[in-house]
Amino acid sequence: MQEVKLTVSYDDYENGIRMETLIRELAAKPEAGSLESLIIGDWGQAYENSPDEFMGTLIELAPSFPSLKKLFIGDMGFEECEVSWIIQTDLTPLLAAFPELKSFSVKGSSGLSLEPIEHAKLEELIIICGGLPKSVLASIARAKLPELRKLELYLGVDDYGFDGSLQDVLPLLEQGLFPKLVYLGLKDSEIQDEIAKAAAEAPILDQLEILDLSEGTLSDEGAEALLASDKIKKLKHLNLSYHYMTDDMLIRWKRSGIPVDVSEQQQSDEDDWRYPSLTE
Amino acid sequence: MTEMEENLQSPVKDSDMTLEQPLLLIGNPNNRRTLGLQEARQRIGLQPALVLPYDRLLKTWRRGGTMADAVQQCLEGRGTTHVKGEPWISSPASILYANHDLVHGVNSVPLIRLDAPGEEWEVERELLFLGAVNDVSPLIDGLSAGMIPAEQTLTLEQEWGRIYAPNQWFRGWKACLERIRHEALEYWPNARFMNDPHDIAIMFDKRKCQQHLSAHSVHVPPTLQSSEPIRNYADLRTAMKTAGMNRVFVKLACGSGASGVVAYQINPRTGAEIAITTVGMERVQGKVIFYNEGRLRKYTHTSEISALMDWLCAEGAQIERWMAKASLGSSVFDIRQLVAGGQAGHAIVRLSQTPITNLHLRNERLLPAEAGLDEQQMDRVQTTAKAAMAAFPNSWSAGIDVMLSGGTEPRAYILDVNPFGDLLYRVQHNGLGTYEWQMELLRKEPYNHD
Repeated sequence: MQEVKLTVSYDDYENGIRMETLIRELAAKPEAGSLESLIIGDWGQAYENSPDEFMGTLIELAPSFPSLKKLFIGDMGFEECEVSWIIQTDLTPLLAAFPELKSFSVKGSSGLSLEPIEHAKLEELIIICGGLPKSVLASIARAKLPELRKLELYLGVDDYGFDGSLQDVLPLLEQGLFPKLVYLGLKDSEIQDEIAKAAAEAPILDQLEILDLSEGTLSDEGAEALLASDKIKKLKHLNLSYHYMTDDMLIRWKRSGIPVDVSEQQQSDEDDWRYPSLTE
Repeated sequence: MTEMEENLQSPVKDSDMTLEQPLLLIGNPNNRRTLGLQEARQRIGLQPALVLPYDRLLKTWRRGGTMADAVQQCLEGRGTTHVKGEPWISSPASILYANHDLVHGVNSVPLIRLDAPGEEWEVERELLFLGAVNDVSPLIDGLSAGMIPAEQTLTLEQEWGRIYAPNQWFRGWKACLERIRHEALEYWPNARFMNDPHDIAIMFDKRKCQQHLSAHSVHVPPTLQSSEPIRNYADLRTAMKTAGMNRVFVKLACGSGASGVVAYQINPRTGAEIAITTVGMERVQGKVIFYNEGRLRKYTHTSEISALMDWLCAEGAQIERWMAKASLGSSVFDIRQLVAGGQAGHAIVRLSQTPITNLHLRNERLLPAEAGLDEQQMDRVQTTAKAAMAAFPNSWSAGIDVMLSGGTEPRAYILDVNPFGDLLYRVQHNGLGTYEWQMELLRKEPYNHD
């Protein structure tokens, strides 16, 4: 697949280079017509500047990218911007501008909104952030995405924007919301145990192949509920990587025969605090 | 007894002496560095270096003696060194060092290699002592708040990981370097240093080193400029604001490795701040003590960050722009490039999921080929590393830390010049380890700065 990543480094930005310009240059190239994946990386000092700087241009030039199937807004590392500091914006218009899109990824949740989420062909929605606002969770729970197969959400922590509770996550565990969903990721959460307990017997498991509860603060408490569930046993894969389970629990997982990833065991710190992966 | 051992222990013939320049190694005996070097010399058939332990040198000085006395003691003690558990008599070779007549022979001028003084508590204490007696700083501005009085230094008990008065230590280390240089040249006027002690003092001081490199047109991350000296956290905030620099590295000027390095950033929009570092802090009897932790700490409270920055600024810190390093997958990386005799040798790619790549714990290390770095990238790294080394024409070898920037046109920047940066494991260049390679180079091209 033909993929392009556009990045405005610190030096580039200081030298006056803007994401808008890079998008225009890309759109003017002959290969734009066959481009399938576009990754918008750092747009320059993303802790101060939002995608509003270039979104209008991207929407205007959408017809130059007729083959685009994947779009990622904000693929940047900690060396470029702390994930919780990335300023996002209302990205809803992008969904309408790219009706052929199959995969949409976003990094950063500060200022993020997606309302309404409607797309006839989208199969994959991924939001990576330090803390997902409950308003976005609510938008997803109302979304109309008939083709959605994979939903992966980093829920994060209070400090970085997760202003919700389990109540805001529960609607995503209801069956029938996304009829074709086979991969559900509710991860990187500071309430990972609560989510695990709620997910263990959730009706949605009957349609899932993969449940991803990785990167969060999962401990033996949440693990007990998962192990006790018959629905969990039917999954093709359970991702619990990056967790705070004990050695004893890891042995029990091994004996269970369930296809589970329990790598990256963490130790709680001296005050017995447990942190999700993306907030460390 | 093998043939090699027999040869080593038999008297060295005059003709042999003219072929090989004797090496005086000032270091800590029996550590990985000294043993590594001696093993390398043995393997390629060079005479063992005469080892002058820092501990002995510093104690001799404290008791009123000179470096010559310390060397003499080593010779009288027959200077046995151990290689792989076998006593290895270095006396035949060491005659060379003591024989004053030989200083007139062109090829018998001793070459002196200084190695790292670290990881030896007795030596640390002696350097702190030397730093106390060489203190000329006025007792103002709380600059000497962290000072340990001379009489207390020698009985100091080590608390694991604690960072003791780094500025005082550095003063002691600089005094040590200066005195070694002075006395060595007095003793052997034609002596040569592999790395000049003056240069080592500059390389060790991150402030001076970056200025020095910059003055020699070598790319380094820009230093945070300020019209006023940055003496504390408040000054730092002001300087960052004035310069519009929201992300900086604050580095203890004389720290080695990841010790005393802080990746610090301020969110200009929200005012939030984050400091990522290996420095741990603890309040003991109303006083904050600082130590190296094996893991990263993330400070977000102003009270903690200000305590950390006040201390770093008082002890002396290099403050430079935190430049985004190039990435491989979800990791960023930089490269430790060994340069010796003008040639780029061993290289190690240091990957990290954090801004601090030189943390020994957990971070992954790969060979450039394993990491998938292409020829163009390595060429850029090596050219820049060699340029950095060339800025020190009186020094021969260093481990140079180089980063590549991200963006459309990646550039190489020098992060650190480590005069003792040749202790690298599991990496070969032309089939040789770091010490063997350097000794081979020396043998082929006898050391000559001129």
